[in-house]
Amino acid sequence: MSAVTGAPVLLRAELRHDGRSFAPWILITTALSASSVLVYPWIFPDVSDRLALSTAIGANPALGLIFGPAFDLTTTDGFNAWRSLALGGFLAGLGAIFAVTRATRGQEDSGQAELLASGVLGRSARLLSGVGLALVGSLLLGVVAGVVTGLCGGGWPASMLLGASFTATGWMFSGVAAVAAQLGGDPRTASSIAVGALGVLFVLRGFAYSLQGPDWTVWANPLGWMTETRPANGDDWWPLLLAVALTILLLVVAFVLQARRDFGQGAIAPRPGPARGRMRSPLALAVRINRGPVLTWAIAALALGSVFGYFARSISSVLESNDAVQQILAAGAASQDDLISAFLVTILSLAGIILAIPGVQTMLKVRGEELNDRVEPVIATRVARSRYYGANALVAFLAPTVYVLLAGVVLAALASTADIGVGFGQVLLQAIATVPAVWTVIGVSVAVVGVRPAVGLAAWLGVLAAFVLTLLGPTFKLWDWVLAISPFWHVPDVGADSPDSWGLLWISLVTALLVGVGVAGFRRRDLARQ
Amino acid sequence: MNEPVVEVAGLTKSFGRFQALRGVDLTVARGQVHGFLGPNGAGKSTTIRVLLGLLKADGGTARLLGGDPWRDVVALHRRLAYVPGDVSLWPSMTGGEAIDLLGRLRGGLDETRRKDHLERFELDPTKRGRQYSKGNRQKVAIVAALASDVELLVLDEPTSGLDPLMEHVFQDVIGEAKARGVSVLLSSHILAEVESLADRLSIIRDGRIVQEGTLADLRGQTRTAIRATLDRVPDASVLAAFRDVRLDGPRLSATVESARIGEAVQTLGAYGITGLTVEPPSLESLFLRLYGGEPEQRTAEHPRHARHGGA
Repeated sequence: MSAVTGAPVLLRAELRHDGRSFAPWILITTALSASSVLVYPWIFPDVSDRLALSTAIGANPALGLIFGPAFDLTTTDGFNAWRSLALGGFLAGLGAIFAVTRATRGQEDSGQAELLASGVLGRSARLLSGVGLALVGSLLLGVVAGVVTGLCGGGWPASMLLGASFTATGWMFSGVAAVAAQLGGDPRTASSIAVGALGVLFVLRGFAYSLQGPDWTVWANPLGWMTETRPANGDDWWPLLLAVALTILLLVVAFVLQARRDFGQGAIAPRPGPARGRMRSPLALAVRINRGPVLTWAIAALALGSVFGYFARSISSVLESNDAVQQILAAGAASQDDLISAFLVTILSLAGIILAIPGVQTMLKVRGEELNDRVEPVIATRVARSRYYGANALVAFLAPTVYVLLAGVVLAALASTADIGVGFGQVLLQAIATVPAVWTVIGVSVAVVGVRPAVGLAAWLGVLAAFVLTLLGPTFKLWDWVLAISPFWHVPDVGADSPDSWGLLWISLVTALLVGVGVAGFRRRDLARQ
Repeated sequence: MNEPVVEVAGLTKSFGRFQALRGVDLTVARGQVHGFLGPNGAGKSTTIRVLLGLLKADGGTARLLGGDPWRDVVALHRRLAYVPGDVSLWPSMTGGEAIDLLGRLRGGLDETRRKDHLERFELDPTKRGRQYSKGNRQKVAIVAALASDVELLVLDEPTSGLDPLMEHVFQDVIGEAKARGVSVLLSSHILAEVESLADRLSIIRDGRIVQEGTLADLRGQTRTAIRATLDRVPDASVLAAFRDVRLDGPRLSATVESARIGEAVQTLGAYGITGLTVEPPSLESLFLRLYGGEPEQRTAEHPRHARHGGA
């Protein structure tokens, strides 16, 4: 019996039962790419409009951190490549990571894998089928995104290359996730390692392009290879070969590691813990079960603050090197201080959206606890439901607050010591002004998990809406009332002459309402039911 | 003080189209151990979850310790402890920490009992949640529940996964709890466990209570199995008093109401008995009959099953 006996059977079962979980990722990336080619010619019909957009994007370097370089916005395909390549690849990578983690570590912990392992199944079959699921899913994602984009009016070579870059990113991170699944002791650690790697590489790529770093900073980064395929601006297919090679390498490493470790264990063996506990409240419990992620995210916040901070230090030179910006400045349409101030608002909003994610995760963890029958014994004590839920919501709100402030302090320290004309106080105040918007985004998840946890994906609506509207909205000339759906739209620019803080009050009222709905829902509904 | 600790009448609960409870009646008297028996999926856990205020009943009434389990949830939970049938622990928390957490949330632990039970159950409190086997996770919940000072223990298949030795320890500690005056609602699908502990039993099936009473009550309703080897084969009409009759040449196997054994043996005596076995009534046969649907027919058609069940 070889090490992979049974893998095809298992893969078929995985595809049938778990394949559906890949659908949202396919849907979002396809929508992202297809919507660009549908909408762009309509909103930006002629060249002068497009050049103006180019200028606007160039004037806000924070956008470059997320979307990477805009090589050519005069064609629809060029615009699509700018808007979708980095983000679509990121989403494909996430989908692949979650698929691999779920099919390997997740199953191992739930005992499902043991049942499978005792069957006629080779040692490596389960990892192989998990990886297979991610590889097939990524391939499908790329093909669907490319073909739909082409059908919607995108140029075929550029659209298919774009889709191929999604697939390649998905493949590489299937490999990363497969390795991470061997290192981490549990599913959460495993996916954190892999997602962390994806996030770091993503930010580094944005950094390398925005600061026009030396060539090697792009080529040392696997995500840089994807950007260098340059769809609609040269159509280079060969960097994809690098991605395939890396995927193979990572998978080989993963299988070697897998053959060496014990079932259910990671590389790090657990030590005996304390025989007595000190927790005596639901809040202590909520803090405890979020302890690991809180530490990880605090470090991530510091890292984010330093990355953005270093970026802010060089903002003047970035603006100076941009001809279009110089024209704006020369025409007196905006001062350099205005641009820098607007840049700070965007970059802190971006940090806020990213750092709201752990808040949403905390609320979704309540649902996870519930489905794992761990809420039941706690509620069966004298702890009221509202107290239990409130304690978790408190952690969900407070932890991201601390993260935003941490990132804000680091960013402020770095920005204020460079000669860009902003003070420590101003940046920190801007960070503080961002916090209520972060709360609103988390409030959505409090309401969803409290009232209708079965639609858990809806908990991410806040993050998604904030991201799409805050970062993509303005470049699409959306109406203000649409943009105002994102709580970050209401964050005042504290560097402006008379900042308008009323918006913060309104979004805080919305947050309070969402929390009220969530707590009331959690008190009323049946627990632990799908 | 003499009102029942649990009073449930006509309780119904549906999940979508599936009717989990179709009118459950259950009364647990104070200071008693009440066995709550039923096959898997009969509605035991759903009833218990309604009593704990985790699920909201669709219809009927439920009273727990004199209060409304949905409305007075916090006040009631101060006075009870619960062991679920499928204990899931926090993966990175040690068993000791989990016991202390649950104990404190409940309002305090009896230190002596905590220590004593940990020793008797041979549980290592320094292991992490994810390292425990199923039985050991179960022990963590049992120790946490029994070490707290409560009036009522709600135990939902608490011994699933325990080995026979530990099952014995469990029976002892429940006995001690009863001696302290604690009322116990003990759900199980294993008769033997309940048989030695329970004062009264309720048997649930398909969301309804199908049998309720003391052990003696239920025993009275069971039938005694008779196997005899006879000289002559009796007429069918003679065997009217017998049930589940099976004649294999001179060998007869049948059941008879426990109160009419003497009469039955006399009847058979007329045909010359050369061998006779009389099996005392067992709860398990009742249990199987109630679980199994149409028991008489089944016994007649598959005597092997009946013998297996009557052991």
